[in-house]
Amino acid sequence: MEQMFRYILTALISTVAACQFIQVITRYVFETPIMGLEETALIPTIWLYIMGSVNASREDTQIRANVLEIFLKTDHARAILQAISEVISIAISIWLTWWAWLYFSYSIRVWKGTPTLYIPTFIYESALFIGLLMMTAFTIWHLIRNVQYLLGYRTKPDHEIDPDLPTTNEVEEFQILADTQKGNNNG
Amino acid sequence: MVEIAILAFAVLVILLTIGVPLPYCFGAGLIVMTTVGEASMRGMMLWGFSQLTNPVLLAIPLFVFAGTIMSISGIAASLLDFVNIFIGRIRGGLGVVAAISCAIIGAISGSGLTGIAAIGPLLIPEMERKGYPRAYATALVANSSILGLLIPPSVTMIVYGWVTDTSILACFLATLGPGLLIMTNFSIVNLVMSRKFPLILDDPMPMKQLMSEASKRTVSAVPALLMPVIILGGIYGGIMTPTEAAAVAVIYSLPVGFMIYKGLTFKTLLESGKESATAVGAILIMILFSLMLSQIYVMEDIPQMLVDKIFEITDDKVLLLILVNLFLFAIGMVVNDITAIILTAPLLLPLMSALGVSPIQFAAIMGVNTAMGGVTPPYASILYLGARIGKVKFTEVVKPAMLLILFGYIPVVILVSVWPDLSEYFPRAFGY
Repeated sequence: MEQMFRYILTALISTVAACQFIQVITRYVFETPIMGLEETALIPTIWLYIMGSVNASREDTQIRANVLEIFLKTDHARAILQAISEVISIAISIWLTWWAWLYFSYSIRVWKGTPTLYIPTFIYESALFIGLLMMTAFTIWHLIRNVQYLLGYRTKPDHEIDPDLPTTNEVEEFQILADTQKGNNNG
Repeated sequence: MVEIAILAFAVLVILLTIGVPLPYCFGAGLIVMTTVGEASMRGMMLWGFSQLTNPVLLAIPLFVFAGTIMSISGIAASLLDFVNIFIGRIRGGLGVVAAISCAIIGAISGSGLTGIAAIGPLLIPEMERKGYPRAYATALVANSSILGLLIPPSVTMIVYGWVTDTSILACFLATLGPGLLIMTNFSIVNLVMSRKFPLILDDPMPMKQLMSEASKRTVSAVPALLMPVIILGGIYGGIMTPTEAAAVAVIYSLPVGFMIYKGLTFKTLLESGKESATAVGAILIMILFSLMLSQIYVMEDIPQMLVDKIFEITDDKVLLLILVNLFLFAIGMVVNDITAIILTAPLLLPLMSALGVSPIQFAAIMGVNTAMGGVTPPYASILYLGARIGKVKFTEVVKPAMLLILFGYIPVVILVSVWPDLSEYFPRAFGY
């Protein structure tokens, strides 16, 4: 799954960058912008946003504040708080998914096309419903893992806190970049 | 209705406190507004989704991706060498190198974490070898890393410009003055603090050798230094939009990373692609639901009602500016910069306009306050990452970090509020 997301997300972000770059070159160098490129680029752009968010749910790295968690002393107490937060998240996510489903059905019913190339807008409008469905599924999966830990079926929680070196989701993302720098330095 | 809006905001804050992800916190606000407040959700998904198709937003993932590629490529070492040759030999010079290098990285990446992630692993051990206490070196590099959010291009300013409908190019320039002032302040505070440390200074270099070394290092740093020239020159020269400039930066960074600095590999490219996309996905899904909540607020005229309620209590500009700054400081302590802007900018802008503060000055007020949140606990991502990279206990970094904030940062926060020219000079010079 990790490998799959790595390839999908890098392919999407690279495609989006390439589309914009081509537009700059054709517009400013050749002075003939490619017709319909912008509306075509919307497909990878929207899927990039939504799949990025799905991956954040899969990795459990959606943006959160975790103010209360810092004051809790044990992993068990933190796991209970996280389970409560996940139950609430699932309820809200189902509500949002329901509204996204209504939008999804509307897109199928209306079946609009883009202004220049008549590409069905459903191709990217469907991303929201599919994305929210996957985000809900991954949140349920995290809840199950948490409950397993609380019931003693797993020995370690998903998130352990080191009071000497606290962390946030952003820290974990950029830690990889810092580790690469250390590798370059040593090499 | 204003009471229900406050209830929705209170629910949002409570859920945020217990650790519910931000997109769902905004979702809860929507549930309150539509069930208790009887606002309509019909058409809201369609409206919210159409906002995501705005090309301006695309600049966010592309700037993050370009910055990450450049940083992984190994530009940090050549940038540090370049700055170090000019000022590294004076007492406390290495600390100044930290501040200036982070500002240059800021002109490449647009994120507050890239500076510490790219420069920290190289500079913190070097500073320790030269006699700086490790905790101080870590705090200085981490605090300087904030400059990534203030020196254009800045992801937070793209978000601010977008949610408040203000020119993004003007917003970029609004935080430039405060950013340069903070860089100068950190350099001065560092030079004063360095007097106490038993520093080991390099022997002075003969002028001929210095010139030859300087030209060698300049050549090596040129590909990295060209990146801000391409981005900012392209944008302000009227050649490219910010989104196009970000795309050009991504394409430019690939040969630089693979062939010139050679730090980029296919594996690290995949990793940075995934990390950039995930970071951006998490931001944009939050923006989507926050926009929908803001739209309901606007349709119900809540921001104006709030302004009226506040003016019933006081209309003293100085007092309100102090309160807004304290509020932003408090918000910045518990959420990250982008979240703070999304949460508060649409609500506070009408109040600021009523007080005679321009949206451009308010961009700078929001920018400096929310950026400071990155180094003020409990949600101090930049400082947390610094502690990990510097291998210092977090509690040891806090004290020097707070000293730097007190003498280097807080004066600028005050100046931005009371001296509009600090934030409006550069935008005005470029015709905004």
